[in-house]
Amino acid sequence: MADSGEIAIGIDLGTSYSCVSILEHGEPAVIPNEWGERTHASVVSFLEDGTVLVGNSAKRNIITNAENTVYSAKRLIGRFYFSDEVKKAQAVMPYKIIEGDNNSVRIQIRENVFSLPEISALVLKEMKAIVENYLGHEVKKAVVTVPAYFNDNQRQATKDAGRIAGLEVLRILNEPTAAALAYGFGKEITQKLAVYDLGGGTFDISVLEIGKDVFEVLSTAGDTYLGGDDFDDRIMTWLAEGFLKQHGIDLRLNKYCLQMLKEASERAKIDVGRDGIAKIHVEGICQDPNGSVMDLSATLTEAEFNKMVMDLVQRTFKVCDEALQGARMTANELDAIILVGGPTRLPIIRTSVRHYFGRDVMAGIDPDEVVAMGASIQANSLLDAKGEHYLLDVTPLTLRVGTVGGYTDKIIDKNTPIPIERSKSYTTNRDGQEKVKIRVYQGESNKAAECELLGEFEFAGFRIGYRGEVRIEVTFEIDTNGIVNVTAADVETGQKTSCTIRLSSGLTEDMIQQAAEKNARTTLARGEAAA
Amino acid sequence: MDEGFAIEAQALAQVLDELDYFQILKVGQNSSPVDLKAAYYRESRAYHPDRFLQLPDVELREAIGKIYKRINEAYVCLRDDSKRTKYLTDVSGPDRQKKLRFVEASEQELKKEKEQEVGATPQGRKFFLAGLSDLAAQRFASAERNFKMALTYEPANVNFKAKRDEAAKLVKSDMSIR
Repeated sequence: MADSGEIAIGIDLGTSYSCVSILEHGEPAVIPNEWGERTHASVVSFLEDGTVLVGNSAKRNIITNAENTVYSAKRLIGRFYFSDEVKKAQAVMPYKIIEGDNNSVRIQIRENVFSLPEISALVLKEMKAIVENYLGHEVKKAVVTVPAYFNDNQRQATKDAGRIAGLEVLRILNEPTAAALAYGFGKEITQKLAVYDLGGGTFDISVLEIGKDVFEVLSTAGDTYLGGDDFDDRIMTWLAEGFLKQHGIDLRLNKYCLQMLKEASERAKIDVGRDGIAKIHVEGICQDPNGSVMDLSATLTEAEFNKMVMDLVQRTFKVCDEALQGARMTANELDAIILVGGPTRLPIIRTSVRHYFGRDVMAGIDPDEVVAMGASIQANSLLDAKGEHYLLDVTPLTLRVGTVGGYTDKIIDKNTPIPIERSKSYTTNRDGQEKVKIRVYQGESNKAAECELLGEFEFAGFRIGYRGEVRIEVTFEIDTNGIVNVTAADVETGQKTSCTIRLSSGLTEDMIQQAAEKNARTTLARGEAAA
Repeated sequence: MDEGFAIEAQALAQVLDELDYFQILKVGQNSSPVDLKAAYYRESRAYHPDRFLQLPDVELREAIGKIYKRINEAYVCLRDDSKRTKYLTDVSGPDRQKKLRFVEASEQELKKEKEQEVGATPQGRKFFLAGLSDLAAQRFASAERNFKMALTYEPANVNFKAKRDEAAKLVKSDMSIR
C-alpha cells in the first residue's frame, strides 16, 4: 500500500540520548550521523548567529554556552509549571525555565521563548536530518517512542513535537514494547518476558507475552522521576560534600561549577561501571576567595558507588513487584529478561536484576539501540499494513473523572488493553443548567489532588431541564497511542460534541502550526565543524 | 484487502450492541483461559487497527476500530474470574439486553451514589454540603456543627450521621496549629 520508496523512521527520543533507525532489507538498522555517532545527546544549543546545534556537539556547549543550551527537556515535557519536577529543574538547570499561559512551562533563550515540544522538535529535526542525509531524500513519517508510564499530557506533547518537526507521527509507541518487538521480531517464539528499562530520566517495566506474531503487554509500571540522572546526582552530592568539607566551598551554589560537577559525575558513573573504579579530576572547577584556581580530585570505588545508589536500585524493584502483580505472575514464570537503557550497563543493576528475577538477563541486546530498532520495525509495519505482527499494548494509568468534594471516579483501569472505550451517564446538578464541566484525571488515587489533571471538558447545547432530568452520555476513549479522547452526547437528542482532551497548558492547533513554520525556518548547524 | 472481510466487518459493527462478550470473541461460555487467550489473539489478528491504518475508506476503518475496542472490552471482562462470573449471571438473566456491556462493580457505584445522596430536604442538603466543604478545607469543628444541623432536619439520614461521626473524630485528633 505504501508508495515505493516511502519510508517511516523509528525514533527513540530519550531524556539524555536519542537514536534513529530504519528498516533496511527487512532488518532494523541504526543510522549513524555523518561522524559515525549512533546515539545523539538530546541537547539543543542555540548559537549566537541564530542557528541551532543538536546532539553530542551541542552537549559540549552545556558548560561553555550554559544559558543557551537545553538538556533533559523530556523531564519537563507535558508537565505543569507548578509540578515538583519543574521546581527541581529550575534549581539545577543553567537555562531559564519560565511560566507560560495556563500553568505551562516555557524556556527562555535570549529574547526567544520556546515551549517544550518546540525544544524536542529540534532534536527530532536532527534525527530526521540524519536519515535524510543517509538516504538522500526527505522523510515525512515516524514512530516516536515514549516511556510506557508517560501520561496523556506527556504523550500529547511528544506527538505535538513530532508535528512541529514536520513529521507525521504514525504512532506514539511505548519504549519497552518497542524493545520487546525488536527482540521477538521474526523469531516466532512463544515466551513470557519482562523489559526492565532504566533510561536517563525514567524507569519502566513491562511484562509481555509473545505468541509468535502477537506481542501482548500484560502489565506495565514505572516511575517518571527515576533514571540514570539520579545516579549522577548521588555522585555529585558526594563530590560536592567532600569538596565542601575539604575547602569550605559549596560547588553547587554556582551553576557553572554545577555543570562541571555534573559532567564529571556522569563520566565517573560510566567509568566505575566499566572499570570498577573511577578517577575523577576536574581542573579549575572554581576559585578560592583569594582568586587562585582550584581543582577537584577524587577516587570512586565500585563498593562506594553501589552503597550510594542502592536505594535507587531498590526503588526499581518495588515497581517491578507492581508490574508482576498487575500481570498476575511471579518472577519465576518469566522466560526472559531484557535490559534497556544506558544505566543498565552498570554491574550493580545487572547483578540486582539477575538476583530479583532469579535468571540471567538476555545477552546480545544493545540497551542504547534496541528501542529505536523496535520503533523502525513498527514504523515500517504501519506503512505497509501487511499484518506481520500485532502489538497489544495497555494504558499505564487509571483514567478518572472528577466528582463532588475533590474525589474521582474510576473510568478505565490501568493495564487495560488499548484501544478501549467506556461510556458513562451523567445528569445535571441543578435546575436550568446549561453546561456541564467534566474534569479528566489519570492516577491511582481516588483523590483528585493526588492525580494528574489531563484537562477540562465543557459540554453545552443539550436540552435544558430540571435537576437530574437531562441525561448526558460521556464516552472516554484511549486510542492506540495511549491518548485520551472524550465525547459527550445528549442521550435524548443525540447531539454530540467531541474533543481530544487537551491539557489547558498544551499547545493549540494554531500554536503548533506557527511552531512548525518556525522549526522549518531554523537551520541546524550540523556536526563537528559547527561546534 | 479482501472484499468479503470488508462486508463482514461492516455487518459486525452494525450488530455489535446485540452481542455478548462470548459472541464477540467467538468462544463458548465455559471456555478455558487458554481458549480465551487463543480467541483474543485470533480476533486481534483479524481486527487490529494497525493493519488498517492506511485504509482509505474512513467508514470501514471506523467500523473496524469500533469492533476492536469491543474485543478488548470483552477480553478484559472475561479474563477476570470474578467479573466473568458476574457477567455470565447478568447475560443469562432477564435483563440480558441491558447488561451486554459489563459495568464494573455496579454495587460499588450504587453505594457511592448513595454516599453522595446529599439529603432529601433543602435545609438538610444545605448544611450537609456546607459540612462537606468544611471537611475538604479541614475545618473539622465547623464541619461537625454543620452535619449536626443537617441531622436536625433529617434525623434518620445514615449518611449524615456517618459524616458527623467522621468529623467528630477528626476534631478530636486535630493537632494542627494556626
